[in-house]
Order: sequence, then C-alpha cells, then structure tokens
Amino acid sequence: MAKPKVAFYWCASCGGCEEAVVDLAEDLLKVVDAVDIVLWPVALDFKRKDVEAMKDGAIAVSFINGAVRTEEQEEMVKLLRKKSGLVVAFGSCAHIGGIPGLANFWDRETIFERVYKDVPSVRNPEGIYPQQKTKVDGVELTLPEFYDTVYTLDQVINVDYYLPGCAPPPDLIMNAVTAILEGKLPDKGSVLAPDKSLCDTCPRKDSKPEKLSIKAIRRPHEVIADPEKCFLEEGIICLGPATRSGCGERCINANMPCRGCFGPTKGVRDQGAKMVSAIASILGVEDEDKVTEEEVESLVKQIDDPAGLFYMYSLPASMLRRKRMG
Amino acid sequence: MKEPTIVGFLCNWCSYEGADRAGDARLEYPANIRTVRVMCSGRVEPEFVLHAFREGASGVLILGCHPGDCHYKMGNYKARRRISLLKKTLEQLGIEPERVRLDWVAAGEGERFAKVANEMADTIKGLGPLELS
Amino acid sequence: MAERIGVYVCKCGPNIGDKVDVDAIVDDVKGIEGVATAKSHNLLCSADGLEFLKSEIEGEKLTRVVVAACTPKMYEQKLMRACEEAGLNPFLMQMTNIREQCAWVTPDKALATRKARSLVMAAINRAPLLEPIERKEIEVQADVLVVGGGVAGLEACLSLAQKGRKVYLVEKSPCIGGLAARFEEVYPTMECAPCMIAPELQEVLQKENIEVFTHSEVEETLGSFGNFSVKIRRKARYVSEEACIGCGACFEPCPVEVSNEYDEGLSKRKAIYVPFAGALPNVPVIDKDNCKRFKGEECRACEQACPFGAISFDDKDEVIERKVGAIILATGATLLDPKALPQYGYGKLDNVVTALQLERLNASNGPTGGKVLLKNGKEPKSIAFVFCVGRKEKEYCSGICCMYSIKLAHIMREKLPDAKLYCFYSDICVPKKEHQQWYDRVVDQGVEFIRSNGTVAVTADKGKLAVKHGTDSSGKTVSVDMVVLAPAVEPSSDIEKLAGILDTSRDDHGFFCEEHALMKPFATALEGVFAVGSCQGPKDIGDAVAQAGAAAGRVLSRLVPGEKLALEPMVAVVDEDLCSGCKTCILLCPYSAITRDKEKGTSVVDEALCRGCGTCVAACPSGAITAKQFTREQILAEIKGVAK
Repeated sequence: MAKPKVAFYWCASCGGCEEAVVDLAEDLLKVVDAVDIVLWPVALDFKRKDVEAMKDGAIAVSFINGAVRTEEQEEMVKLLRKKSGLVVAFGSCAHIGGIPGLANFWDRETIFERVYKDVPSVRNPEGIYPQQKTKVDGVELTLPEFYDTVYTLDQVINVDYYLPGCAPPPDLIMNAVTAILEGKLPDKGSVLAPDKSLCDTCPRKDSKPEKLSIKAIRRPHEVIADPEKCFLEEGIICLGPATRSGCGERCINANMPCRGCFGPTKGVRDQGAKMVSAIASILGVEDEDKVTEEEVESLVKQIDDPAGLFYMYSLPASMLRRKRMG
Repeated sequence: MKEPTIVGFLCNWCSYEGADRAGDARLEYPANIRTVRVMCSGRVEPEFVLHAFREGASGVLILGCHPGDCHYKMGNYKARRRISLLKKTLEQLGIEPERVRLDWVAAGEGERFAKVANEMADTIKGLGPLELS
Repeated sequence: MAERIGVYVCKCGPNIGDKVDVDAIVDDVKGIEGVATAKSHNLLCSADGLEFLKSEIEGEKLTRVVVAACTPKMYEQKLMRACEEAGLNPFLMQMTNIREQCAWVTPDKALATRKARSLVMAAINRAPLLEPIERKEIEVQADVLVVGGGVAGLEACLSLAQKGRKVYLVEKSPCIGGLAARFEEVYPTMECAPCMIAPELQEVLQKENIEVFTHSEVEETLGSFGNFSVKIRRKARYVSEEACIGCGACFEPCPVEVSNEYDEGLSKRKAIYVPFAGALPNVPVIDKDNCKRFKGEECRACEQACPFGAISFDDKDEVIERKVGAIILATGATLLDPKALPQYGYGKLDNVVTALQLERLNASNGPTGGKVLLKNGKEPKSIAFVFCVGRKEKEYCSGICCMYSIKLAHIMREKLPDAKLYCFYSDICVPKKEHQQWYDRVVDQGVEFIRSNGTVAVTADKGKLAVKHGTDSSGKTVSVDMVVLAPAVEPSSDIEKLAGILDTSRDDHGFFCEEHALMKPFATALEGVFAVGSCQGPKDIGDAVAQAGAAAGRVLSRLVPGEKLALEPMVAVVDEDLCSGCKTCILLCPYSAITRDKEKGTSVVDEALCRGCGTCVAACPSGAITAKQFTREQILAEIKGVAK
C-alpha cells in the first residue's frame, strides 16, 4: 500500500515551526518512514507546479504554519486545501495569527512607510515602495499583493485541526501525527492540546495565593522574578490563566511569564478580552468600595500597552481582528 | 437611513428597572438603543462588548447599580475595572473609548436612564457608525 | 432533535398593539429556522392568555417559548408557571420586553416595530441555547448557633426555642446577660434591668432545647446555610456546673485579689469568682492567669472550702462539635477606651469615669452597693456628663449615648438631689418616641445642658476637676467633682477573630457588615449567618431585641425541620474539565461561595451560597464557569440579535 502523502508549508512565519519538525529528532525518521513527503519548501525541492499536478485530495494531510498576509500565501493555502484530505494549522501563527499578527496594529501603508523609509538603517529619500507590478527593460515583473491585514489560516480556508504553540512542542506534534496515521482523530475543529489553561500544569501553581489581589504591575524587565512564585503574585502579568496548556511550560521554566502562544482555552473566543477581564478583576481589589474613579484609572494605567500584551499572539483571531485605521 | 445600533447591558436589579420606569413615564429615547438584561453589571464580559461591535453595534452601554448599591455588593466595582481596562485596550485598537459607556442607573431613575440613553445616542451619532473591517 | 420554538407577541391591548406592528413581526419570524409557530395575542397575562399559551405548548409540542410582551418584572413568574403546568421546563421560556423598553419609549411606529423585531429576533436566537434548570433542594439542619448571650442573643434563643428549634448559645464570659445585666435601671421605662432580664436568663438556662456554653468560644465553622458544622471551645472552668450549687464558700479563702473587669475595674475579685452578684449561671470560674495553683504554687484553698467537691484543677478545655443550619451573631459592643483621647484625662485624673463605670457605681450589685461615691468616699456635689467622646475620631454617632447619659443624669438627680449636674453635648440625639420627653424632663429637673461641640478638656483643679469648653478665646470653665464620659460604642474585641472564622465582612468601623442597610439590616452577606444587636452597629436594648427577633423569624421561616431548602436556581457552575485552578474567581465572590477543591485542584461553587451574579463567570479567564440562564453563548446570541 502506498504511504500517505504529507505536505509541509509555511506562510507568514519565522521558521521556528520548521525547526519544531526537525526537533522531533529520531522520531522524524519514524515519520519519514511512515509517510511520503510531497512538499516541504524549507527542506525539499518540490514546486508549486508539482502540487498543482496532483489530484484533488491526493495529499493525506497538509501541515501549514504561518499566518496569511500575502496574495501568494492565500493562493498556496487554497491550493493545498483543494489537494488535501486534512489541513492542520501548525503553530501559533496559522492558529491565531501569532507574532506576525501584531502587524494588524498597522496597515500596508504604515508598515511600508516604516520598513522602507523611516527605519534608521534605511535611506530612501524618494520614498520608493514595493510595487505589485514594475517594468524593467520592458519586462513586467510582479510581486504578490501584501495585504493590509494578517489572517489566521481558518479565516482563509477551512481548517480541520489546530496544533498550537510557538512553536508546537515535539510531543504534541508526535501525538497529532500518530493520531492521524492511526485514524484516531477527535472532532473536526479540535485543537490538539489539553483543554485546560496553563495554570493546570504550571510548576508554580501551588505558590499562587488562594485570594490573589495584584497591587502593582511590574514588567518582566523591571524585576528579577522569584523562580518559585506565581508571576501574578509578583505583579508580573502572565497570560497563563487564559492560555491553553500543553506547551511544556517552557517560558515559565525559563523564568518568563506566559505570553499566550497556545491561544484561548476551549470555549473562549477572545483570549485578550478574557485576560482583560481577569486582570482587571484582581487588580488592587482591597477596599475597592473606597476606590475612586480616578484611582481605578491609575490602577489600570499601570498596564502599558494592554492591547499588545493581551493580544500578543491572538490579535488576528480576536473578535476585532485588527486595529481600526482612522 | 438606518441609525447605528447601541447595545445596552442592564443589570436586573437597578438599571433594568430604571429603563422600565422610563417606559412607564413614556420618556422618549432613540430606538437604536437595544437592551440586554444581565443579572449584574459584573456579569458583563469585555467579550460581550467586542461581540456587540463585531455584530454591528456602534456603541455599547453598560449600566449597573450606583457604587455602594450593587445588589451583589461588589459586581459594579468589578465592571468598573474591567470596562476601564477594556476602554484603554480599545483605544489602542482604533475604537474611540466613548463608544463604550459604563454608568449607573438606579431602579427609580427613569429620567436618568432616558438621559443617559439620549446622551449615548448623541455621542454615537457624533462618532458615526463603527464599521469594522 | 431540532427545537420547536413558539413565538408569542402580546399586544397588551393598545399598549403594544397601537405602537408596534405586531402582526408584521409575527409574519416576519414565521419562516425562521426552528420557529414552529408564531402568533399574536391581545393579552397574554390574562387567564385566557395563559390558557392559550398552555394549549399552544401542548398542541404544538413546543420545546422553547419566546414571549414578547411587557417587562419580565411583571409577569415572567406567571408565564413560567404556565409553561411548567404545560409540561415545559420554565427556564425554556425566553421573554423580551417590547412594552416598557420599546413601545412606550418610541413614538414612531416604524422605528418601534423595527426595534421590537430586533428584540424578538434576539430572543429567538437565544431560545435554542436555553437549558432546562431543575430547582434544587437540599436537606437542612434546623438547629441554630447563637453567639453572644446578651439581650439580642437571649431573644434569638428564646424565639427559636419557642418553636422547638435546638439552640446552642455560646458566650465567651462565664455568665449570660451581657451588658444589660450590669445596669441598674434602663431607659426609657426606668425598669430595674436585672429584674427585667432575670426571667429571660432563667428561661434560657432551663429550657431543654437550649444548650448554653458559657466561658466558651466558637473555634471553627465549616459548611454553609442549612448545613454548618461548628466547633465550640468550652474553656476549662475548673468548677463543675453540675456539682456546684453556687453557695460561694470558695471565694473567701482564695488568697488572690485582682481588679474586677465586670465592675469596670472599680472593685476587686478573687481568682475564683462569679462576675457579679446574681450573675447566671451562678457557678464560679477559676481565673487561670491569676490563680496561684496555676502559677505553680501549692494552693488548694478553694478546693478545700467547697463542701460539694465541685472544684477540679484537672479540668480541661473541651472542643464540642455541633451541626446547625444557621448562625446568629450577637456578640455585642463595648465602649471606646477614652485613654486614647487624653484631653478628657481619663486614666490619669481621679473621678473621671466612663458611663459604664457610673452604671456599676449606681448598681445595687456593684462595688459600692449602689452608692455613687468619689474616690475619697464622699458623694459628689457636682457631676459633668460629656457626650460624644470619640465621635469625631470614630466618624459615626453611636446614637445611644445621649439617651443613656440623660438617663444617668436623671438617676443622679434623684440620688443626689442637691448636686449640680451639667451635660456637655455637641448635638442631642433623642430620636425615639419616648426620648424627647426624657430630655425635657431632665432639663426641667435643673440639669444644665451646655453645647460644647466637642471642645471639652478636663484638668485637675485643686482637688476638683475643671471642665473647660469652647474655643480658646471664649472658653469657659466649670468646676465639678466627677466627670462621666460617654465614649463611642465600638464592636467587642473578639469580633475580628470571629469575622475571620466565619469569613464574613466588617464595615469601616469594625462592626459586622449587614447585607442591606434597610432591607436586611440583620443579615450578613453570608447566607444563613445573621448579625444582630450591637455587633452590627450601636444599638439600645429595644433595637437589639427587635433585630434579634427579625433574624430568628427569618431562620424559622427558611429552615423548617423536615422541609428541604430551595436553592437559587440560576447559579454559577464550574466545569471541572475546563477549570485549571487559576484561583482568579475565589477572591471575587461576594458570598464566599467559591472554594478550592484541593484534591481536584479546581474551584467549586457552593450552590447554597451562590446567588448567581455572574461576576466570577465574567472573570474566569478560561471560560470554565457558566452562569445558568445567563451563559456566554446565550448572551452572545442575544447580542447578535439586537446589534444588527
């Protein structure tokens, strides 16, 4: 029997997800043994035309990482959707937009202006920006369109499963691959990670006080965090309570608070809004009946850049999706 | 022309009653104010506000009992913090904070309800429809 | 199975019918998926209307009902009952208000119709997401713990015991009766307080279904309304309550003498003592901190003197556990220690006393047998009463000091007919129907009232006391033999510990915080825990007793032996499979209904305590808490309907 065909593709991403596949180490050999890789731009020399030549549904599963922010990415993921039985959104960017999704605080024009003109290391007095079409010596050159907005994969094509994480940890990848190969998959649309939030598995869980009230907010660079204590207890905002677990607590173990790369838990639509609610609920709540409106404002003001913090990974997947440009 | 809608979350014990009193007194306010009853302003999740915007609302009102009068003691104080932080977040996302208004209307305050509703309608009229992409 | 939704739009006669195009809305919603039928009715809340609704539910085999009518505050309960009678879980009905919040506030019919349509659409969106809720009942314990044996506690005990409830009365001091038992006469009746209170004390002590624990404290409470488990520490008395007959033979031989706190330090007592003559139960107690034997000396004086072998130095503290359904706190109050306010000279100058000390001097069972005497043993020829001591510092008016000071002035007038009496006041607070008359009466009796607005300062003045009042320039001085201070009433010292044990909140002044100042002044925010009498705020005897009666009545009506307790149906529920134990919710609950299940590592909501506000639901960062009847999905669906 022919081995199932598997494709890996990357869109707007950093390459970390590719590393994550390589990080399977010996297990990668098992995967390679069991499947037939038909597309993997970072490692193998297959082209778009090879995929186009396949029959619809010929690929058993496509693992697509990265968010969608260009015309080319949109075309490729639509092509892969057509050719694949299953599509797995691989990693934070495909799942919830990820770090590239922070570009949704701007639009194409403001990004181009910054990147191609205003950055101190760039000299571009004429203000020349990338064009979709340019004629050079009578020959028309084209570039794919750069969108105003970064999209999650499921905002562009139907996605069957999600493998969360920046990047997804090897154990979750192997579990997913094994489940696919054995045909033991959960309901379509599932996130292939535990349902509970990170606090469930956090090594500092027990240090968190039963009744937690944060008095002063501190940013990670302002303080050396106690490696045993719950970050929130120290006033360092940690997105763990609103973030799906399964990451292996890599950041926590490196003494850094969670920034939400696994996305919201099951049943939550907007991770950032949930975190807004939770943090505001426990921010300096002692004697709150005596707190004035102004004091509430100044408590809240302690949080610099709440949108950037609470939506660090999930802005494109949030209810608002992006900044509204005036 | 269709006026942009304003979703109003009213707490069951004070503000919903206040809105009813406005009705009893036949006080007019624009029809684009649409109310949703919740038990307490503390039940209002920031997610509800975002969802209202996503579904087409151009403004959101959250009304609860006056500070100190919450039927559940502290719910309105919780709403106050959450909405304050939400507004700061919204501002960064290009949504005028005035599109969200948290205020207090007691059970007997029909006039106050109508006043807040009319003011909110004027504010939103001034800001124009939200129109999210 | 797809839901079968019945949509019913009430015209409310012309109230909605004339303002909203009801039939157009009915036509519009007919085609919507899930809507099995849509009809208008002229008056759904009428007997006809309710019958119509019931027959529709049965005839159309409806699984959900949407009613667009008046405010749910009017007839929601009635409509829910109709659903229930027709076999539909009442929580499967969704009401929307198109009268008060639409027809009556929108004169333009087209706009009102558009708004009503959107409200109906929102209700239809929400309806399929409604979930049946079963009204839960729990088995309850009808017995009650009363903490504090003053007048309020006694009243609570007797009211409850009268109706057959088992009552456990815990009193920290060795006797019951509280402050009132130590007064000679009480206003406004000028009755003899011990005579007034003695029958109550006897009844409490003798009633079979009241178990009295004196010299005892509440050590722990677990559980919630209907099912508390309490631990009571009965401190060793070293005198057997069974064997002792109260003859008092043990006092005389005791070699120790210490200041008697029950006489406000005005007399001495022995290390084995009863607080004052006539204290009940009439069983002495050994003061372990002062008894020679407990200090390692070989003294058996009292033991040898006891003809009944009632004394046992081996007595140990006992921890007794009891199950109760409710807890009534009646721990009373004390007076602010005026030493904190040096301008009055209290503690430094002789003959500056508190009102409580004067009560004891005046009491026939007090240190002087009822004679009001100065330190030198002579009767005072002039007395100054200073009101409002500490009112400014405490930032509240204790409300009872004017009247008890007036009472004391009146008693002094009778006892010392020739003495000059002054009252220095800021504002006179005599709010009740008999009180003004008492004020007028003592004025008539020649008691001089001087408005000093809190400027009083007391200094020594050649064997007398100089009471200076007024500002520096216009200050005047009155020379007196005795100064009686009326200090602010403050909660008794153990309130903090008790509040910690019960996890109930206190107000800015340290008193137990009532659930609602007007509607539930006797209840705390913790269901089943009541605070009555002066532990909830300064009170006179009458008010304390009335409040205790109200709490007892509430307990009697809600906790009935053999009857189950109906719980709030719309409570918060934690999904164990989603809760990560982040603890965000625990602090938020105003009713302490959320606790942590240590084994599972998740939060748990006690349904007997939850009142369904949903504050925890909104805060839960992982969406693990649901508010019944106000779930996230239900509200989002409704928003979708109205936002369009």
